Amino acid sequence: MRRVLLLVLLAGTPAAGTAQSSQFGVRGLGLPGRALSVHALSTGGAFGLFDPESSLNPAALGAFPAMTAVFSGMQDFRHVENPAGTASVRESRFPQMAVGGPLRRYPLAFGLGFSNYTSRDFTLASADTILLRDVLVPVSDTVSSRGGLSDLSVGGAYRIQEHWAVGGSFHILTGTNRVSAHRTFADTVYKPSSQNSEISFAGVGVELGLVRSFGTGFAVAAIARSDGRARIDRDSVSVSRVDLPYTFGLGLRWQVRPKLTLAGQGLFRTWSGANSDLLEQGGTGADNTIDLAFGGEFTPDARRPSRRPLRFGVRYGSLPFPLLVGEQAHELGVSIGSGIRFAQERAGIDLGLEHVWRSAGAYSERALLVSVGVTVRP
Amino acid sequence: MRRALIGLGSVVGLAGVLTACQERLTSPAECPGLCPGGEQTLFESVLAPRAGLDSSFHTYVAPGQGAALLVSSGLAVSEDRAVYRFVTLQDSIAVRDTARAYVVDSVLITLNIVARDTLVDGLKVMLFRLPPTVDSTATFESVDPQLVEANLIDTIAVPDSLHVGQITTMLRGSEVDRVAIPKGTGGVLAMGVRLTAAAPTGIRIGSLAAGNGATYVSYLTVDVPDTGSTRHQFLSRATQFNTFVTQNRPAPDPTLLTVGGDSSSRSIIRFALPPQLRDSATIIRATLELIPAHPLLGLPGDPALLDARAVLADLGAKSPITTDASFIVTDSLPQGSSDTLRLEVTRLVKLWQSSTDRPPAIFLILRPEAATFTRAAFGSTNPASPVGPPRLLITYQLPFPFEIP
Repeated sequence: MRRVLLLVLLAGTPAAGTAQSSQFGVRGLGLPGRALSVHALSTGGAFGLFDPESSLNPAALGAFPAMTAVFSGMQDFRHVENPAGTASVRESRFPQMAVGGPLRRYPLAFGLGFSNYTSRDFTLASADTILLRDVLVPVSDTVSSRGGLSDLSVGGAYRIQEHWAVGGSFHILTGTNRVSAHRTFADTVYKPSSQNSEISFAGVGVELGLVRSFGTGFAVAAIARSDGRARIDRDSVSVSRVDLPYTFGLGLRWQVRPKLTLAGQGLFRTWSGANSDLLEQGGTGADNTIDLAFGGEFTPDARRPSRRPLRFGVRYGSLPFPLLVGEQAHELGVSIGSGIRFAQERAGIDLGLEHVWRSAGAYSERALLVSVGVTVRP
Repeated sequence: MRRALIGLGSVVGLAGVLTACQERLTSPAECPGLCPGGEQTLFESVLAPRAGLDSSFHTYVAPGQGAALLVSSGLAVSEDRAVYRFVTLQDSIAVRDTARAYVVDSVLITLNIVARDTLVDGLKVMLFRLPPTVDSTATFESVDPQLVEANLIDTIAVPDSLHVGQITTMLRGSEVDRVAIPKGTGGVLAMGVRLTAAAPTGIRIGSLAAGNGATYVSYLTVDVPDTGSTRHQFLSRATQFNTFVTQNRPAPDPTLLTVGGDSSSRSIIRFALPPQLRDSATIIRATLELIPAHPLLGLPGDPALLDARAVLADLGAKSPITTDASFIVTDSLPQGSSDTLRLEVTRLVKLWQSSTDRPPAIFLILRPEAATFTRAAFGSTNPASPVGPPRLLITYQLPFPFEIP
């Protein structure tokens, strides 16, 4: 019956495009995605560098016990505050999908991933009064964007003597932003206007990662990734290029007790490389970002770790694209989650809840993120 | 307890199913602070017509071929008389397959008033007999002298309460002789119409083109000698030809853009749309401004309609013009006004943008053509024009500067 309940909850998380959106994803390339499975999201992302279902570390692919397919959905309930007012918004997205598994008789594993790289989903509404033909005319403006960048990855891991796993992956970064601007006038003699444009992105990246285990209780993971430059086309015409960041990450995992495992990770991204490109295009630039996460997983039954585990975590991060020049946004999130496995561990569902606070100057928002992940091992 | 939890979970899950599919992304914004790319900026531009290429053309609809005939009495704009000629009335009718002579007992004449100045009372419509040969060559000078007492058929007093509708007169007894048609003269009745009133005014009356021209009905007695009985019948005759004649028809001023009048003039105004507007601007509002050369003349209380129509191909006077209501802008012309006339022609200008086949030109037409007292003349680009030329005020915006990452 519980499985049925979970499936009902899963059905309530519908399909859409990328990851969660935010008013802090209005500028630049948008709000960066996290490439985490629901399992890792429930721990604030602390287990991300060790999680084969996430797409953060190719070396973690070696942890797949069998061929596995994972996808996740996220429902975002958000309250936005800015100098223009407040609003409650919500949306549904599929931020992460992955397929991977070990190669029989070889210490190799391969994986494919589809994750959100950045998301630019927003609709901004504003009102003003402008002077037209010597008469003040109230106007209503709406600027909308849908889409973002997606990360298609192909990776592999090689396990060395049980303690080491190294991996590499190749990433195709692609996506489209459909942007539109609408204006209506209170005086209907002025006709409403609607303008649309399509901005598309294309780039590639490479990544190297490793996981080093020290016995059964302690492990270290590290990654280095370069995403090169992305080409930007507007309505099929090449208009600019933007530097994408280098990413460096370090993670630690410690099994404190047989029932309790703790982890932490830090990620550093050199988004400031895009600063000059964005300023040149009239944007507000970009800043380097750091993501810090700490979390744990408590398993009531150490012999059956997949039975009702309790996951928890906290994270802090900075966002790369400021709304106003020189005012970088930050976010703080706390999360909790659990999951079940059934059908002899061939299928499973993970649930995660995360509450996030983001702010920069007069702009702030808080969001409740409900994530559901489905794992299938055929 | 376990069942209760399951039930609660089911309700929560179902609520999730019902609500989660909704997406609501609109949040408030204060531009340009939060708006990527900045704000939408509006621009205004004034376009003058192409010099020397704004013209008037005349006589699209001949008098009498319009939707009404004009009759006036002392009206400032024009002095008009109407003429009707009816379908031939045969001098015998068939009864039991035999053509038999008849005697006209009475005659009913009916006219339709289409419009009048309701502020002027005491209207009287006077009907006069005219020669049956009257045709389109008739002039005011040839018709008016015949509208005298000797030719008077009848005078119909128009009730002051009647704004639109029929007026009739029934001729009986000796009155029938006024419309009697002697045998062998062709059987055609023609009549002229003039108006008298307590003050200068005019009326518009029905016409053949509109299907509401005058009619006359003859009520007959047919003698059937073989049976010693009489038969009562009637013959109805509709308008076969009608026209109206105007005293001292003014010739349209070539330095002005003329529309309407008994000459049923039309005007074309040509513009050159700048590339910036044609290619990439979003037209928000386009207003055509016309400056009257003199106060608009017409019948008080009976405004005409001015159409600004898109031109499908620029062939001068014979340019085909649109019949698509989407690209026709209409406004009424109030009599006596000398204010600048403004027509919102946004759709027409947008048409010029969207189709290179459509010339950037506007045709002006006064409706109903050749059936209104209203006559308008507007300033043109002609250097001798006493008032300024038309102009097109365009409010537009350029492509929104979407922020490119």
